[in-house]
Amino acid sequence: MTGRRISFETSQATQFVDITGRLREEVQRAGLRDGRIHVQSLHTTVGLAINENEPLLLRDFETMLERVAPKGAGYEHDDFARRIDIAVDEPVNGHAHCRQMLLTAFATLLVEQGELVLGRWQSVFAVELDGPRHRQLAIQLDGEFAETRTRHRQEESETLVELELLRQLMVDPEPVAAPMRRLVEAGGKRLRPRLVQLTAGIGPRQDPLRAAGLAAAVELLHNATLVHDDYVDESSHRRGRPTVAAAEGPERAIAVGDYYFAKATRLIAEIGNRKVTSTIAEALEAICASQIDDVALRGAFPGDHDSYLRVVRGKTAALFAAACASGAQLSEARPEVVEALRRYGDLVGVAFQMADDMVDFSPSSGKPVGLDVRQRVVSLPLIYAAEDRMVGPEVRRLLAGSLGDDEVGRVAELVTSSDALRKVRQEAESLVEDAIHALETVELDGLRSTLISLARSAVDRVS
Amino acid sequence: MSTQVIDRELERLEGLWADGLGDAYRSYLGAAGDYEPVAQQKLALAAALVEIGVRLQSLGGLAAPPPTLLMGDLCLARSSRLLADAAPQQVQIAFASAIEVLASAAAAGEAAPAAREMLLQALGSGR
Repeated sequence: MTGRRISFETSQATQFVDITGRLREEVQRAGLRDGRIHVQSLHTTVGLAINENEPLLLRDFETMLERVAPKGAGYEHDDFARRIDIAVDEPVNGHAHCRQMLLTAFATLLVEQGELVLGRWQSVFAVELDGPRHRQLAIQLDGEFAETRTRHRQEESETLVELELLRQLMVDPEPVAAPMRRLVEAGGKRLRPRLVQLTAGIGPRQDPLRAAGLAAAVELLHNATLVHDDYVDESSHRRGRPTVAAAEGPERAIAVGDYYFAKATRLIAEIGNRKVTSTIAEALEAICASQIDDVALRGAFPGDHDSYLRVVRGKTAALFAAACASGAQLSEARPEVVEALRRYGDLVGVAFQMADDMVDFSPSSGKPVGLDVRQRVVSLPLIYAAEDRMVGPEVRRLLAGSLGDDEVGRVAELVTSSDALRKVRQEAESLVEDAIHALETVELDGLRSTLISLARSAVDRVS
Repeated sequence: MSTQVIDRELERLEGLWADGLGDAYRSYLGAAGDYEPVAQQKLALAAALVEIGVRLQSLGGLAAPPPTLLMGDLCLARSSRLLADAAPQQVQIAFASAIEVLASAAAAGEAAPAAREMLLQALGSGR
């Protein structure tokens, strides 16, 4: 039996947050092969539900909840004059509590062969009924776990990276460390450091401490690029918290990004493996070049498939590929293994970005819908919607003008109603299969199933 | 990265040559004289790219507009790549440390040492 808490931020009063991907990650992280995952809401105004993640259906559910327990319908719970011991900030939320009674506060899902047992159309939702708020769910997993030693080794590796990140952030000057600490502590999927650690276990020279050092440096590098990106994109929030640029100004954001770019490259240089240093430096250059392309393409928004792939290969996939290759290089894996992993990382990175693009149109992601549209960030669903025979002309007309709330909402509706999201998902899934195929001819010291599972979870993500 | 993409990036950086990158490069070339001939030019260019990169970003001053910041980022990244190719480990570390000093001073709103002086010292650390 193992258990933990998972947290998320909601952004709307009523919101269906799809947690299926998070639960899959927990199953994978725990190494549960066959058994159950139990989920419990820790709030009286958050329920759980299992149903289809289809945007219009989610609106139907919301309408139904409003019809059965309308807001402000004279709930006795909201009559503060009659209640005792109420908090100063007690919300008027009788409707939310009543709606929660229509749902459930706990759910148990079966796990077979390491996978959640869900029907084709089933997704698991945490249903926010009184948002926006910070929320937590408790989860427990029981059953038959993968070989305990492997799982413990994986958990220890992850702990080592977190400790290394904390250690590095403790020794830095406060003006740069404080904003970066907030960003790192806010979460993130830690996919890149995980890839470094996994692949650092493949070759003959395995050193968990050096691998953790490299993994932490890669994560710092990733976060440094995000700090600059957020200034460039004028983003107000990341991981549910204000961005460094929004909270402390663009000047500080530039300095923080530069500091951690430099620190990460120093930490990598200190490892003293020239191949690793070159791999990361090449990736960094590709990231920076593609950021310039990304901004340049906003003039021809939404762009086309080729330019999308060019940007995404640099912006996202380059560091995935470098994480995979550098971990393997650190462990002195054979060159053909390094190259297979580099290819795997590149394909998974592109698929991951496509899944991320789809999240922008999901009302259950926990993020505002259409943020990429508003910021004119290159996005594959938008490209496909703009090329669509039915909705394309209206999408292109809207994107050519200024994008206020109404226009962004309409574009999101058009994308959702077209075939674009299905096409993007298909393409992402196909890339994942190619990534898995890239590993077929090389020996991976028992890590094949973990890498396959990680690749598949990259496109299952919803937040 | 494809050849086409590399060519495009080189074009971008060539545009900076007349805007100070060339002068900075020539200033560092002398300081790189102790290295192997192939490494001298790469190390001098790496130092010049850092100097121009942080200048483009306006590190320590009013924030550069996003496109200029990104060009500055590209300069730092290109420098990092050149160092990975040609610099001894201690020089790579010294370059990164120099940027850390500049960036932390900028974040604290303090005056930083001159970038050129620090980069010349970084170049000298490999001798």
